[in-house]
Amino acid sequence: MNKFFYARLAAVNMRKNARVYVPYLLTCIFTVAAYYMISALSVNPGIEDMELGSGTLRVVLGLGVWVVSLFACIFIFYTNSFLMKRRKKEIGLYNVLGMGKGHLSRMIFYETVYIGVISLVVGTLLGVLLDKAAFLVLANLMEAEVPLGFYVSWGSIWNAILLFGILFFLIFLNSLRQIHLTNPIELLRGGQMGEKEPKTRWLLAIIGIGLLGWGYWLAVSITNPVQAVTLFFFAVILVIVGTYCLFTAGSIAILKVLRKNRRFYYKPNHFIAVSGMIYRMKQNAVGLANICVLSTMVLVMVSSTFSMYVGMEDMLEKTYSRDMEFLIRGDSQYLGEAAAEVVDDILQEEDAEAENILTYTYLNSSAQKIGSTYEIDPSKKNNGAAVAEYCTITFVTLEEYNRVMGTQKSLEEGEILLYTPEEELQGDTFSLGDTSWKIGETLTEFPDNTAAAVMMTTHIGVVVKDWETLLQIETMQRWPDADYEGYSDIECAYSFDLKNGDSQQEAAIYENLIYAFEPTSQLLAEKGGTLAMTRVYYNAQERSIYMSLIGGLLFVGIFLGTLFVMATILIIYYKQISEGYDDKERFTIMEKVGMDKREIRRTIRSQVLTVFFLPLIMAGIHTAFAFPMIGRILQLMALQNQGLYVLCTVVSFLVFAVLYGIIYTLTARTYYKIVS
Amino acid sequence: MSILEVNHLKKVYTTRFGGSHVQALTDVSFSVEQGEFVAIMGESGSGKTTLLNILATLDRPTSGEVLLAGKNVLSIRERELAAFRRDNLGFVFQDFNLLDTFSLQDNIFLPLVLSGKKYPEMQERLAPIATRLEITPLLKKFPYEVSGGQKQRAAVARALITQPQLILADEPTGALDSRSADSLLRLFEEINQGGQTILMVTHSIKAASSAGRVLFIKDGEVFHQIYRGGRSQEELYQQISDTLTLIATGGAVASSVNYRHHEGGGRHE
Repeated sequence: MNKFFYARLAAVNMRKNARVYVPYLLTCIFTVAAYYMISALSVNPGIEDMELGSGTLRVVLGLGVWVVSLFACIFIFYTNSFLMKRRKKEIGLYNVLGMGKGHLSRMIFYETVYIGVISLVVGTLLGVLLDKAAFLVLANLMEAEVPLGFYVSWGSIWNAILLFGILFFLIFLNSLRQIHLTNPIELLRGGQMGEKEPKTRWLLAIIGIGLLGWGYWLAVSITNPVQAVTLFFFAVILVIVGTYCLFTAGSIAILKVLRKNRRFYYKPNHFIAVSGMIYRMKQNAVGLANICVLSTMVLVMVSSTFSMYVGMEDMLEKTYSRDMEFLIRGDSQYLGEAAAEVVDDILQEEDAEAENILTYTYLNSSAQKIGSTYEIDPSKKNNGAAVAEYCTITFVTLEEYNRVMGTQKSLEEGEILLYTPEEELQGDTFSLGDTSWKIGETLTEFPDNTAAAVMMTTHIGVVVKDWETLLQIETMQRWPDADYEGYSDIECAYSFDLKNGDSQQEAAIYENLIYAFEPTSQLLAEKGGTLAMTRVYYNAQERSIYMSLIGGLLFVGIFLGTLFVMATILIIYYKQISEGYDDKERFTIMEKVGMDKREIRRTIRSQVLTVFFLPLIMAGIHTAFAFPMIGRILQLMALQNQGLYVLCTVVSFLVFAVLYGIIYTLTARTYYKIVS
Repeated sequence: MSILEVNHLKKVYTTRFGGSHVQALTDVSFSVEQGEFVAIMGESGSGKTTLLNILATLDRPTSGEVLLAGKNVLSIRERELAAFRRDNLGFVFQDFNLLDTFSLQDNIFLPLVLSGKKYPEMQERLAPIATRLEITPLLKKFPYEVSGGQKQRAAVARALITQPQLILADEPTGALDSRSADSLLRLFEEINQGGQTILMVTHSIKAASSAGRVLFIKDGEVFHQIYRGGRSQEELYQQISDTLTLIATGGAVASSVNYRHHEGGGRHE
C-alpha cells in the first residue's frame, strides 16, 4: 500500500468534514495567534522604553499569558470533543470496512499533525502581524511613544510551539482513548444512542440557587469597599458554581415541575416546547453555562476597565490634588515651616513659582475598628484581622483645620469634630481605645490627604482641640519597638501646583525634592526636632504608572474580551450544528404525526431562541448584580463617578447583545440548512 | 361504501435541473371499502412508498385523485393539511417514529394535544386502547426503555387514539422479531374486526397474509390482487407466495394479462 495513503486519507477527511473542521481549525489558529500576541507583548522591548510603570504593565500582561494558556487548553479540548462526537459514525464505518484500530490511529495522527502544523504556522504568522497592531493599540491606550519596526519574539514562538505541541499531543491521546474504548457498532451509532431522560437533581438545583443567592447577596450587601475587594473573588466563584448548578440541575427541575402541571403541559405550544427543552437543556446545559460565564466575564472586564480608563483623570484628581507634594514626617512642631522653606529654596533654584498651595500638619494613623471603638495602639491591634476592619484616621488640630479650610469652628474641652464619609456614625461619642470624646459636629469637608488617599482603607478625619491632644494621640499609637521609630510620627504635607511649569522643570524639581532629606533634616534640627523621613508625590509620574496599569488592564480586558467573544461564537456555532442534526429527525416525525411545517418551525425556533438567549439574559443579571460590588471597588480606586460606570456597563451590554444577536442569526442559517 | 378511492395516480420525479425523469407511479387505481384490511405488496422501487406518501398527503401526485370518505384530499390547502392528517389518518411506521423526548403516554397523546383536546378527555380515550394493546403498565416509560414490539404497540395506540378514518401502516413488522411481528399482526386483525379500516404496505408475505385483500404493485401499477375470502391464513400465504414467484419470474408477463381483468372487485379463484 502506498505509504502516503493515511496522510492522504486524513486530508480528504478534513476536506469532507469542512463544516465542522473549518471552525475548529480557525479556533486553533486564533488561539495560537492570541497566545503569541500576548506572550510577545509581555516581553516586547518597546514596553521597556515606555518610561515609567512598565513593570506594572509587564505583570498585567504576564497574568494575561497565563489566562490565555489556560483558556487555550480548555477551549481546544472542548471543540475537539465536539468534533470527535460528530465523527464517530465515520470512524466506525472505517472500522467496519476493515481498518484496524492501529490504522485508525495512524489516520487520526496525521489529522492531528495537519491541524497542529497549520494552526501553529498560520497562527504564528497572524500573531506576528496582529502583534504590531496590538502593540500600537496598547501604546495608544497608555499614551506612550511607539518605537518603529517589527518585533518578532522567538522566545514566544518557541513557547507557543511547546504549549500547543503538548496540547495537540494530549488531544491525539484523547482521540486514541476514545477509539480504543468503543466498539465499531457503538461508533457507527455515534451520537444517536437513545438519549436518556435527565434526572431531576433537586439538591444540586437548590445548592445552585443558594450559591447564586449568596453571591448576589454579597455583591449587594457589602458597603465597605475594602471588604468588597477581599470578597469579590469569593462572590465570583459562588456565582460561577451557582450558574453551572442552575443551568444543569435548576433548568431541568423547573421544566419537570412544569411538566407535572397537566393543565399547563397538555397545551399544543407547551407540550412540545417543555419536553423538547428538557432534552436540550440536558445536552446543552454545560455549554450554555460556559457561554453565560464567558459573557459575564467579558461584560464585567470590559465595562470596569473601560470606565476606569475613562474616569482616570477624575481618579488622579481625587488622589493627587496638586502637581506635586512634599511630605515630611518628624518629631517636631516646626514641620510646616521646614517643609515650606525647603520647597521654596528648591523652587527658587529652579526659577519656578508655586500656586494653589496646601500645607498642613496632621497625624495619620492606622486604626482597627473593634466594636464601636477604634484601636490605634499597635500592641492591642489584632494582626490577623481582615483589611476591611482597618481604617486610616487623619488627626488634625482645630487651628490647622480652620486655617486650611478657612472656617471658624470651635471646640469645647473633650470634644472633637468628625469627618466620616464612608462609614455610618454610631452614637455621639468617638473612642480611641479607652479614651472617648464627644462628637461636637460632623464635617462634610476635610483637607485633601494624599497619604490617606493612596491607602486602600476607609478614611476618617478627626479634628482635635489642640496640639497637646494631638501629641497625646501620637503617643497612644506609637510603636513600642524602636525599629519602627518615626513610622508613626506627625506629618506635614506641602502640596502645590507649578505656575507655568514645563515638564522638564517639573522633573528637575521632583529630582531635587527626592534628595531633600539632608537639607530638611538640618533645617529641622536648627528649629528643634528630628526628621524621620521625607517623601515626594509627583502627579505626572503617578499618572504614568496609573496609565500603564489601567491602560494595560484595559488592553488585557479588550484582548481577553475578544478571545471570549470568539469562544462564544464557536460554542454557539457548534451547538447550532449539533442541535440541527438532532432536530432533523424530530422534525420529520412531527410532520408525519400531524404538525404542519410552519408550526414545527415556529416551536423549534422559539426553543432554540430560548436556549441561546438564556445565557445572555443570565449574563445580564449577573452583571447587574456585580454592579454595586464593582462600583465599590472602583470607588476604592478613587473612581467616584458612578454614572460613568453605569454608562460603560450599559453600553458594553448593548454592544455585546447586538454582537450576540448577529452571531446567532448567522449560525442559525447553518442550523436551518441542516434541518430542512 | 368505499372509504378510500384512488384514481389514476401518476407520480414523476424530476431531478433538480430537470435532467432526468423517474416514473414512480404510472397509473394506480384502487378503492378500499369501509372496514377493510388491505395489504399492498411490491418489490423495492415498485412505488409502494411513493403511493403511501401520497395517501398520507405528505407528497403530491403529478396527476390523478385521492378521495378519502368522498373528499378529494388533493384539494385541501397546504396549511389545513396537517390538521387533516391528524384528524383522519393514523400512521404506523417501520421505525416506530416515537419521539424520545416524550414518555409513551405523551407520544400517544401528541396528536390529541395538537388538536387542543383536554387532558381528561385524552385520558378517557387512552384507557381502553391501552388496555387492549396491553401497554397500560408501560405508559410512563420512555421509548428507549421498552422493546421494539412495545414501541410499535405504542405507535399503534397513537394511530388509534384520534379514531381515524384510515390507518396507514408502512412495513409495521419490518423492525420487529417474529414473535412481536406475529402479535402485532394479530392486533391489526383484531382492530380491523372492530371496524377499523387499515391499509398496510409490506414486503413480508406473513404480514400480507393477515390482510383481507392483497394488492400487488409492479413498475408503478396495480398489477394484481388477491382476496382472502374464506381461506385460512396459511392458504393465503401460499397463494401470495406463488403470485410473487410468478411476478419475479418471466411468467408474470403472460399471466398479468389474465389477472388484469380481475381488478376492481372480482374474486380470484
